[in-house]
Formats: sequence, C-alpha cells, structure tokens
Amino acid sequence: MGFRPVLHSEWLKIRTLRSLPGALLALFAATTAFSALAGSDGSSDPEFDPLFTALSGVLPGQIAAISFGAMAVSSEYHGGALRLTLAAVPQRGRWFAAKMTAVAVPALLVGLLTACTAYAVARAGMGSAADGVTTGEQVRAVLGCGIYLMLMALFAAGLTAVLRSGVATLSVLIPFILVVSFVIGDAAGTVADFLPDKAGQIALHQTYDGALGPWSGLAVTALWTTAALLAGAWSVRRRDA
Amino acid sequence: MTSIEVQALTKEYGTRRAVDDLTFTVLPGRVTGFLGPNGAGKSTTMRLVLGLDRPTSGTATIGGRAYATLGEPLRHVGALLDAQAAHGSRTARDHLRVLAVSNRLAVRRVDEVLEETGLASVARRRVKTYSLGMRQRLGIAAALLGDPEVVMLDEPSNGLDPEGIIWIRALLRRLAGEGRTVLVSSHLMNETASFADHLVVLGRGRLLADTPMREFIHARVEPGVRVRTTDATALKAALDRHGHDAVEHEDGHWTVRHARVEDIGRLASQAGVPLLELAAEEATLEQAYLDLTATEAEFTAQPQEA
Repeated sequence: MGFRPVLHSEWLKIRTLRSLPGALLALFAATTAFSALAGSDGSSDPEFDPLFTALSGVLPGQIAAISFGAMAVSSEYHGGALRLTLAAVPQRGRWFAAKMTAVAVPALLVGLLTACTAYAVARAGMGSAADGVTTGEQVRAVLGCGIYLMLMALFAAGLTAVLRSGVATLSVLIPFILVVSFVIGDAAGTVADFLPDKAGQIALHQTYDGALGPWSGLAVTALWTTAALLAGAWSVRRRDA
Repeated sequence: MTSIEVQALTKEYGTRRAVDDLTFTVLPGRVTGFLGPNGAGKSTTMRLVLGLDRPTSGTATIGGRAYATLGEPLRHVGALLDAQAAHGSRTARDHLRVLAVSNRLAVRRVDEVLEETGLASVARRRVKTYSLGMRQRLGIAAALLGDPEVVMLDEPSNGLDPEGIIWIRALLRRLAGEGRTVLVSSHLMNETASFADHLVVLGRGRLLADTPMREFIHARVEPGVRVRTTDATALKAALDRHGHDAVEHEDGHWTVRHARVEDIGRLASQAGVPLLELAAEEATLEQAYLDLTATEAEFTAQPQEA
C-alpha cells in the first residue's frame, strides 16, 4: 500500500468538508482586509516598519490557519472516525504523514497567495511611505509569511493529534497567540522571540533587533512545529484508536 | 478461505480485563452471532481484530495474518463499528469515496454499495440529515465497499426500521452463502436467532460458548408441547399413564415437557381426549441464553457501588 492513495484520500477529506476550504478562504480574506486597513492608516511613527505594517493582517489572519490545521485533524476524533480511517489505512505513521501533507500544501499555497495579495493591497495604500523596502526584503517577507502560516497550521494539527480535540487545541493556541502578541510580545530581544509565533513573525519585519534573524526565526518556529508533529505522530502510533 | 482466528487474546484497561484469554475461530460460509451483554467485550474484541487496539497479550489474525499487515485491507475485511463514524458535514457519497480512494477501489464500487444499501437516492445529502437507520446502512455500505471475504458488523440492526431488519437478515444470509466469513454482534436474541448459524457468546470478557446455534439451544432448553383440552382430568390421566410430566397454566393450557407433538397427539387420540390446541413449543435462543448467563454473576443484579 503506497503513500499516494492515502494522500489522495486525505486531500479528498479536506476538499469535501465545507468548513476546511472555508477556513482557508477566511485566512485569505481576514489577512488581506486587516493588511489593507493597516496600509491605509498612514503612520508617522519613527519606528514605522512598512514591511511589517503591510503584512500585519497575518496576526489576526493566522487564527484561520490554526483553525484549519486543528479542524482537519479534529474531524478524526468524532464518533469513532479515526477507527474507520485506521481500519482503511492501518499503517499509522504513513496515514499521519499523509494527513500532515494534506494540511501543509494547501496552507502553504493559500498562505503565499494571501501574503502576495495582502502586501500588494497594503502597499498601494501606503504610497511613498514604503519606498525604502527593497525587492529582496519583499520577496523574503512574502515567502516567509507563507511558510509561517503553513508552520502554524501544522503546529495546530500536531497539537490536535496529541490533545485529540480541536476545541482543546484552539482554546490553548488562540489565547496564547493573543496574549503573547499583545502583552509580552512587544519586548523584542527577550525570550519572547523564541515563542513559536513570535519567532516566525520576525521574517515579516524589515529590520528587527534581537538574537534571531528572519530565517533563523522561521527555523525556531519550524522546531516548535516539528516537536508538535512528533508528539502527534507518537500519540497516533502508540495509543489505542 | 479466510477465517478470523482469536488466540488467547487478553486486553486490560487499567486493572479491568475487557477481554480475558479469549480463543475462538470464526469460519467462512456461515453467519456467526457474537452475543453477550453490554460490556462483555464484543466491541473490544472486534477492535483488537482490526488492529485498532493493542492486545495486552495473545493474537487476533485474519487468514493467519495480523490486520495491519494486510495491503489494502478493505479488500479483505469490511467492518462496521460505529454508525456515527461518518462526518456529518460530508455527503454519503463523499464519505465512501474517501474510503475507496485510500484502498484504490474503483469509484464504481461506491455507487454499487449505495445502490445495494438503498441509499442511492440520498447519496448526495449530508450525513447529518440522516436518521440512525440510514447511518447504519451507510456503515454497512462502507463495510461492503471492498467486496471483502470477511465482514464484521457491530450491532448492525441498531436503529433499523422493520424493513431494514428484514433486509439485513437477507444480506447476512447471502454473504454467508457466498462463502464469506460473517461475524455479527448483537444483544438482541430473537434478531440473532433469525440469521445466525453459529454462536460465540461472551460474558465479562470470557468465552462462554462457541457452538452451532441449534446445538446451543437444544443443549440448554428442552422443547415442550402446548396442549389445551375440555377434559383436563382425562388428559392428566393419559399423560400420567405414559410417564409425561405436565404443568397446568392459569389460562387453562398445559405444557408437557420433554415431549414431541407427534407423541402427545397420538396419545390423546388413543385416550379419546378432546383437544382444542396442540402445538410444539420451540425453545428460543433467549431462553437458552438466559439459562447460560444465569450462572454468571455479572448478569444477575449486583449491588450498585455508591
């Protein structure tokens, strides 16, 4: 039994549940809308970071990416759905890998599209205030934004496999992101930089004073995601279904 | 031919033994009824056979192989464990397509099993609009999807309407007639009696019986004869002369134990006793089952722990 039929099946599962494409649409719409709002709100702040302002719609928008990852996995934990799944695909590691691929690829593609659109819309509203941003920085931020959204979706997916509940995952992650972002997250250069969401968001900034750069920040988020995925895979493999 | 082999199977949850040193084989070509009260370990045993739960010790195999080693297992084994397993927001057809694709089954099979289970006309409706009976049919459709040699159904007649019950009875008989291995759990005795050839009975995780159904019943309950007459004295005298043991009931009919209608009819005729009614009282599976389980402590009322 190969990987491809299992991946095909998992992709079909995502496509045929209205709420999952809905979450990706929400990711696109919310991110673009909040970025457009931020872009039109011309700032005279001396610490104004045009790149981050243009992509700041990701902060609220990422909640949709997290919901997508959590819901894609939590649908397996209702009414014995996982038993039916694992009776069809008893190779649990292979099944989990297929599930995560089916979460990662659409999240990355929609994330990249979202980042491009959000940046373009916000940039149009900012006018000359964003002239100092180089092409390299733009490409890095848009690419980083797509990867960041994929990593957050996978982080939520892995956590859901551990907690076996989408509600539990969302009630941990959403307050965590809101609290970290708005309360302790402003202190750059502290341990907060190494939190899963803050580390990855460094890639969205034009300049950032701290221990981590844009790519090393994404690597830190990737480490958190890897840990969540390993824990999820362990849980799926070891526990009774 | 593929059978289900359960060998010294034990499953503990904490300190509780859900399945306790179970050994039996389910053979092809017949319907095996899997009986026992709720909590006896029927569903756990099925999950162990499907490799969903890990046994504490012992093995469960299908045709000599562990379930997890089957390539494209839906082609070999079809199971209905829980009618709620289909996601409510998906259509029945999509639910089956997801399963079919994972085991590289033709999409044609999806439409075939929808037709077979009577769901074709509602296949594009979301599962949350389905009644329990329709969900059961969808679960059975999923079990039949891969045209498997082994079919395992956990309480399939749950929630089915009378038509559905008749349908599933015919379906199970047909599957066994085609030489498949069919294991069907139930706690409904009359229902099981209507389709099973063989019985595996569990109580508190242990094997209580593994016998053909007729044998199971006859070993425990003697058939009797029901008689009604206008001349009770003459009947009693005639029966006594031939050494039959008869009991009179309140409504005036008699039950002659350990007897056959042929004997009682002839005897009454010879003695000139007028008969209003003469019928064989068939022993039922229910009587036999209650007789068996009466000895098991868990089935009699136990004081509830506070």
